[in-house]
Amino acid sequence: MSTPAGAAAATELTPVLTRTQLAVLTAYVALIEELGTDDVPFRLIARRSGVAERTVYRTYPTRTQLLVATAAWVEATAFAREATESVFDVPLTVRETMRAYSERPELAHVAAETPLRAVSDAAAGDEALPAETTHVPRLVREELGTADDERQRHLTAALTHLDSPATWVVLRQELQMEPRDIADAAAWAAEVVLRPSPREGGER
Amino acid sequence: MVQETRDTRSAVLAAACTLLDEVPFDDISYRVLGDTVGVAERTVFRHFPTRAHLLTGVAQRIDTLEMPFAPFRTAAEFRASTRQRFLAFDTAPRKAGVLARSAAVSPVSAPEPDFLTHAVVAVVEHELPGANRRDLRRAAGALRTFAAPLFWAHARTSLGMDGAAAADVLDVVTERVLAALRPAGEHAQSSSSSSSSSSSLPSWPLP
Repeated sequence: MSTPAGAAAATELTPVLTRTQLAVLTAYVALIEELGTDDVPFRLIARRSGVAERTVYRTYPTRTQLLVATAAWVEATAFAREATESVFDVPLTVRETMRAYSERPELAHVAAETPLRAVSDAAAGDEALPAETTHVPRLVREELGTADDERQRHLTAALTHLDSPATWVVLRQELQMEPRDIADAAAWAAEVVLRPSPREGGER
Repeated sequence: MVQETRDTRSAVLAAACTLLDEVPFDDISYRVLGDTVGVAERTVFRHFPTRAHLLTGVAQRIDTLEMPFAPFRTAAEFRASTRQRFLAFDTAPRKAGVLARSAAVSPVSAPEPDFLTHAVVAVVEHELPGANRRDLRRAAGALRTFAAPLFWAHARTSLGMDGAAAADVLDVVTERVLAALRPAGEHAQSSSSSSSSSSSLPSWPLP
């Protein structure tokens, strides 16, 4: 039961799962893509994953906990970011991330919505806090350590938001963009954000 | 009958908004909503077949009635309006969270651009006369995603930033996006305005 399942494309950000967790999450992901997120009964998840319903509940006592685990897992597998060497490669990763979201829209919606449950649901506690899904904060610290703290904070906030399913949702639904244009617009914005402003001439 | 149906629907949404002051959205039950409004739980279900429908309805009410954005025409007004709204979100995080969640979930009906999007598109066209369509769309997309309740929520939950700090990021992004698409040498007409909030928006003559 406690065997770590390293089968999924492993990166340092991939959560380590037990076999049961992997079976449940795999089944739930398939059901979401078939039926949508709403009201997939635990009974159906149990049947699909070949795990007793009681075990599903023991593994993920609430739907919120199940969704939080699912969102973390899809971000680390289906939407895994290639490790980037430099923060200046982020526009390229953003482009790839947006393409991946467009290919699996139902999962992208789950990834977009789930972290927000923490805002309105303090009772969900630490477990509802989103795991770090990108390398951006580290890269900004490492490469732009000379920029002042405020600029670092702004960059981290802007780049992590552009590299997220939230931006994908906005470009798709509000701007009604096609997948190609979503990828282009998000990558372009990341590039613009990374350009040194006229005021800080010294920085690269 | 049609009138009555509409009244029930808006009464349920009003009740849900009031309940949001006390409990998280996920803890609002259809039974309590029915009891509060004085209709059967079944009736509530008829209006909102799934919780996603309820979420969308509540968000629309918050968006239009409770926490609307102040209208804007220029980039400076856009920034001031969004800053004001982000500060308001800080005072009612559950309601703002509902706005963000409803934007994130798989839509219950064919999605259409909202008023905020139309206003952002107009600002971009106003600030970047002569820019091509592709650039206008890119710019509108960038501004719209950082003005979204989703960005306020991201800043708050993953980065621990408050609404003012999130608005600072929007300021920087807006400045850079517009500068990137303005012909070289041309100075921003409105990007140098103060980044602190002002309760009365400056009024700019329409072109």
